[in-house]
Amino acid sequence: MAKKKLTFEEALKQLETIAEQIERGTIGLEESIDKYEEGMALVKQCRDILSKAELKIQQLQQRGDGTVVATSFKRPKDAGLEHEG
Amino acid sequence: MDGSQDAQFLLFTLLSPMKPENVNVVLSNSSKLGAAPAPSGVLTVSQLTARIKHSIQSAFPATVHVVGEISNFKRHTSGHIYLTLKDQTSELAGVMWRSEAAKLKFAPKDGLEVVASGTVEVFERAGRYQLYIRKLEPRGVGALDLAFRQLREKLQIEGLFDSRHKKTLPMFPQRIVLVTSPTGAAIADILRTIERRYPCVDVFVYPVRVQGDGAAAEIAAAIRTVNANPSQLGEIDVMIVGRGGGSLEDLWAFNEETVARAIFASRIPIISAVGHEVDVTIADLVADVRAATPTAAAELAVPVMDEVLDRLRSQELRVWRAVRAKVELGGTRINGVLKREPLRDALAVVRRREQIVDELTNRAQRSLATRVHRARRTLDAVEPVVQRIAPHTYLLRTGVLLRDAEHALRWVISRRLTGYTTLVTDHNGRLNRISPANRVQRLAEQVARLGTSLPVALAQRLTLLNQRLASQEALLAAVSHQNVLARGFSITRLKKGRKIVRSVAELTDRQRLVTQVADGEFESETVNVTQRELFE
Repeated sequence: MAKKKLTFEEALKQLETIAEQIERGTIGLEESIDKYEEGMALVKQCRDILSKAELKIQQLQQRGDGTVVATSFKRPKDAGLEHEG
Repeated sequence: MDGSQDAQFLLFTLLSPMKPENVNVVLSNSSKLGAAPAPSGVLTVSQLTARIKHSIQSAFPATVHVVGEISNFKRHTSGHIYLTLKDQTSELAGVMWRSEAAKLKFAPKDGLEVVASGTVEVFERAGRYQLYIRKLEPRGVGALDLAFRQLREKLQIEGLFDSRHKKTLPMFPQRIVLVTSPTGAAIADILRTIERRYPCVDVFVYPVRVQGDGAAAEIAAAIRTVNANPSQLGEIDVMIVGRGGGSLEDLWAFNEETVARAIFASRIPIISAVGHEVDVTIADLVADVRAATPTAAAELAVPVMDEVLDRLRSQELRVWRAVRAKVELGGTRINGVLKREPLRDALAVVRRREQIVDELTNRAQRSLATRVHRARRTLDAVEPVVQRIAPHTYLLRTGVLLRDAEHALRWVISRRLTGYTTLVTDHNGRLNRISPANRVQRLAEQVARLGTSLPVALAQRLTLLNQRLASQEALLAAVSHQNVLARGFSITRLKKGRKIVRSVAELTDRQRLVTQVADGEFESETVNVTQRELFE
């Protein structure tokens, strides 16, 4: 259905557009059902995006050539009273 | 003014070691005289200057502090600063070497009252004493305060704080960069808050020093690097730049111009989160959004998962309801079509034919029975005659003949009966096969199923159903259109091409039409073509 990967925002916006189209009744029954299926696929995409339960944290490092690499990040202990930073 | 009196006092004391005695000075024009020994009691310029220099040096501590107003301020291309400090009555030349001048947080300028700290020395070549300034501070206000105000004014004039430059934050970010110290309270607060609200994002920590020399340059470079590397990092939706609380000096990096410029140039929206609620830095003013604290920054950056899920659910429900309403409407329409007259008429035709078949069957059975009955009666009538005639052989022969005749008769009759029965059965079967009643029954069942089961297969079933219905309708319409016309309906065609008009969309004003009614046709012309909404 959706070829390129949509962002959550784009997917949600499309879903709202589909709801409007069906509600307004400007499209026929069969097209409505196609749109419904498209809508459900978008809902699934959105849920997939949201379903990631664990925060993924990486650390960026600049290399000599100006590019950046992401490496694993060691998280500081919470609730520290360190003044710096 | 206290400051100027101090300065006067300093200037007076500067000259006091000189004894008020007559001093003879040889005015030598150049080195050609300078080499010759001077007469006794006479000093060369160099000698006098050296003595003045010595007496000044011994009269003052290594560092003096002078208050005065800057005038003749000049920053040489070499980076050295030259200026004059003055009060109502006196002036003092001052120099600040490049190495010291570079450390200035604020921009000195004419008219500014300052406290200059440094050494008073004699500049022999010009025969003048001047203050070699090591430290310059605005009077009455801290250097940092002044620097802050000066930079704020400058960037304000340039428009860096204008709201029209502020970018909107994305509602549902997926990738976030944090430019801050990798240790400490700020990053812990931010990560904890994002995790609690919306853990489905990717966070990239860009570690930088957030205070001390070079911190500002690191922060600015980080912002620029993230902006310059979109393909490697993927599209970054928002950046949080900041640190936890601290003194004005601690937060200073976020008041430096290089950071302000980098934030302003950023393509990616930036939330600044520097210190506590009360601390407002230049970075805060330039950023697209200012957060009072690092926690607040995280709250601005990401939504709350439950609210997002609610929104998604409500949209899902909305689509589902809309399509269900549509399908139900479709079902109602199909039922409506099935109840329409042509279909009912067709059923009547079928029933009439069935009745004919029944009658035929009855008649066939009746006629068979009659024939058998008649034959028997004939036989009964013949039998006494035969008996009366009674010659045995004759009787026998006649009897045989009669039996044969009866057999033949029975056979013929039974064959005919079988033929009739087969015919009737065939007829029935054929009628059943083509019976619209059965089709209607099947359609009705499909409609019933449609009502209860929804999405995917529904689409195909409905398509099929619609096609069948369409052909059925077309067939029936063709069959019964005369009836329909008789009931008062009419068929309107475009005069040109004789195309049937099914929608006003096919019409324009002033078109010739031919309308067919039951017993003839007439012509007309379109006026006021208006389309009605199909479904409200």
